Amino acid sequence: MSWELLLDPSLFRLAVAMSVPLVLASAGEVLMERSGLLNVAIEGMVTLGAAAAFLAAFQTGSTALGLLAGALAGALVGSVLAHYAVAWRQEQVTVGLTLYVLCVGLASLLYRVVVGVRLTPPRVETLPPLALPVLSQVPVLGDVLFAQHGLVYAAAGTLVALHLFLFRTSLGLRLRAAGENPVAADTVGVDVFRLRRGAALAGGALVGLAGAALPFTLTGTFTEGIAGGRGWIALMLVIFGRWTPTGAAAGALLFAYVEALQFKLAMVSRAVPPQFLQMLPYAFAIAVLVRASRGARAPEALGRPYHREARA
Amino acid sequence: MTAGAAARGRGQGVWPYAGALVVALAVLGGLVAALGGDAAGALAGLFRASLGSAAGLGQTLNKTTPLLLGSLAVLLGLRAGVFNIGVDGQIYAGAVAATGVAFLLAGLPRGFAVPAVLLAGMVGGAVLGAIPGLLRARWGVSEIFVTVMLNFIAVFLVEYLSTGPWNDPTAGEAITRAIPPGATLPWLLPQAGAHAGVLLALGTALGVWALLYRTVFGYELRAAGDNPSAASLGGVPVARTVALALGASGALAGLAGAVEVSGFHYRLILGLSPGYGMMAILIAVLSRRHPLGAVAVSFGFAALVVGTDSLQRSVGLPASAVFVVQAAVLLVLLAVEGLRRNPA
Repeated sequence: MSWELLLDPSLFRLAVAMSVPLVLASAGEVLMERSGLLNVAIEGMVTLGAAAAFLAAFQTGSTALGLLAGALAGALVGSVLAHYAVAWRQEQVTVGLTLYVLCVGLASLLYRVVVGVRLTPPRVETLPPLALPVLSQVPVLGDVLFAQHGLVYAAAGTLVALHLFLFRTSLGLRLRAAGENPVAADTVGVDVFRLRRGAALAGGALVGLAGAALPFTLTGTFTEGIAGGRGWIALMLVIFGRWTPTGAAAGALLFAYVEALQFKLAMVSRAVPPQFLQMLPYAFAIAVLVRASRGARAPEALGRPYHREARA
Repeated sequence: MTAGAAARGRGQGVWPYAGALVVALAVLGGLVAALGGDAAGALAGLFRASLGSAAGLGQTLNKTTPLLLGSLAVLLGLRAGVFNIGVDGQIYAGAVAATGVAFLLAGLPRGFAVPAVLLAGMVGGAVLGAIPGLLRARWGVSEIFVTVMLNFIAVFLVEYLSTGPWNDPTAGEAITRAIPPGATLPWLLPQAGAHAGVLLALGTALGVWALLYRTVFGYELRAAGDNPSAASLGGVPVARTVALALGASGALAGLAGAVEVSGFHYRLILGLSPGYGMMAILIAVLSRRHPLGAVAVSFGFAALVVGTDSLQRSVGLPASAVFVVQAAVLLVLLAVEGLRRNPA
């Protein structure tokens, strides 16, 4: 192995493309967690988003409708989670894990019902690269950043919008207040319940979109394990990024780089069995979280149901 | 869950379970009907295949074993206030250790080999459970995330072993050579095809009950889970207790892996756990985190798994339907509980 391999522009190009689902999912999770909702259904929502997106595109031939279906599936599950957590004050991790199992089962059930059993799995069209004028002509960087498929730019735009929303608008401030100190927020007229429901709807849509990105950018097909832990990893990236969308996205790029590196290594190396290379991103994720857990401070009210009449 | 909620849970008795059964059958019937099948006939077939025949009952008992051991693993964690989402990985780690020891002990008498294989499984699972336990105790790392990541790592290890060094070259798929006959569990009901693992699981459930309610460690474990700061003030070493609980939780899941190898498959295979860990979470919550409740719920879930398996053959109901049914049951129960607690 040489240093050239680690700095290969095609590796960075792949890493940027592979970071998209992680960026979108962790952005959605940041939005939810900032409002006080912990969403451990996220892996299931990514899987269901991928299935819904694939099936919609498979039936209609339209990638746009596929993306919409993925986002809607995520938003729907997010809203169910919010209803259990906000209106019924159920334990968020319990509800989240139950929804995780439901989504994973539902995703393969829907696929089987719509597609049936076939010898070769059907494919949908993957997104073509979309070279931005001028910018894509910049040496090296142009190829890595500005000749990617459309979702890369969409994810970057989402990131900027979410950052501005959370830290530069009064609604964003109220949302963060709902996650930090719902009692105080309620006292000054912030509707904690509505904000949490809204965050779950929008955050869920982003997570579903992250799932939709998988068949349209990476695989072209749907398989049961398509999420491959990316939802869980997004959960870790939120801690890594200290509950900021930009921090989580930086982590997403780092993680996607390791993931891409594993692919490249598998192509050049015969000495190490491929399964050990495949373990690499997951072991790396644990190591990163161990480091990131030091001094991490979650939103104060994260995971706690808000009850107006309850004494603090 | 607060102490009050737990008390109400006990007070509700068997009615929620009867309701859960109705929900499960309704969802299942609905799915069959949606696929264009005959719902009533399918449900009758489900009953015949899982409980209404000797062979069916044998299969249900065999499935009860990993589900019960897995759910005991999850609920032991829940009692200590941690979520072990890594039961699947720990099952695989236990299965790897059990298979390895079984190969090593070829030729030894069963009375020695079988206990050694089961113990190896427990050690394998405990190692995988101890990692998130130690990371949480030492640096406050989320055990949910670490246990999930270790699931992926364990599956890749099994894929490596079953396609690589331990591969059975005549099989042409990801399975290992068979373990020696001396390392296999004895039969419980040979005609029904039920192995003795279910007795082991039942004994373990009693053991977990005794551990939780009749030992100092169990008391400290429950205290650490119910109110960590109060437990800490009362002199309970909370971090250490939680780490030990995750290690013990892993050992229980590892035992399930060893039983699957030694009692059912007689080898390590890649699909050894078809989502037992996911079902185990649901069972642990449904049984209200009680070991004896887990016995009943595991048996019910096992019947459901065996029954839907048969529907897969007869009406083409996909295997994944079982997750949908089980999760729907828990969602309905959580909704009923939520509505009762927060009347609109």
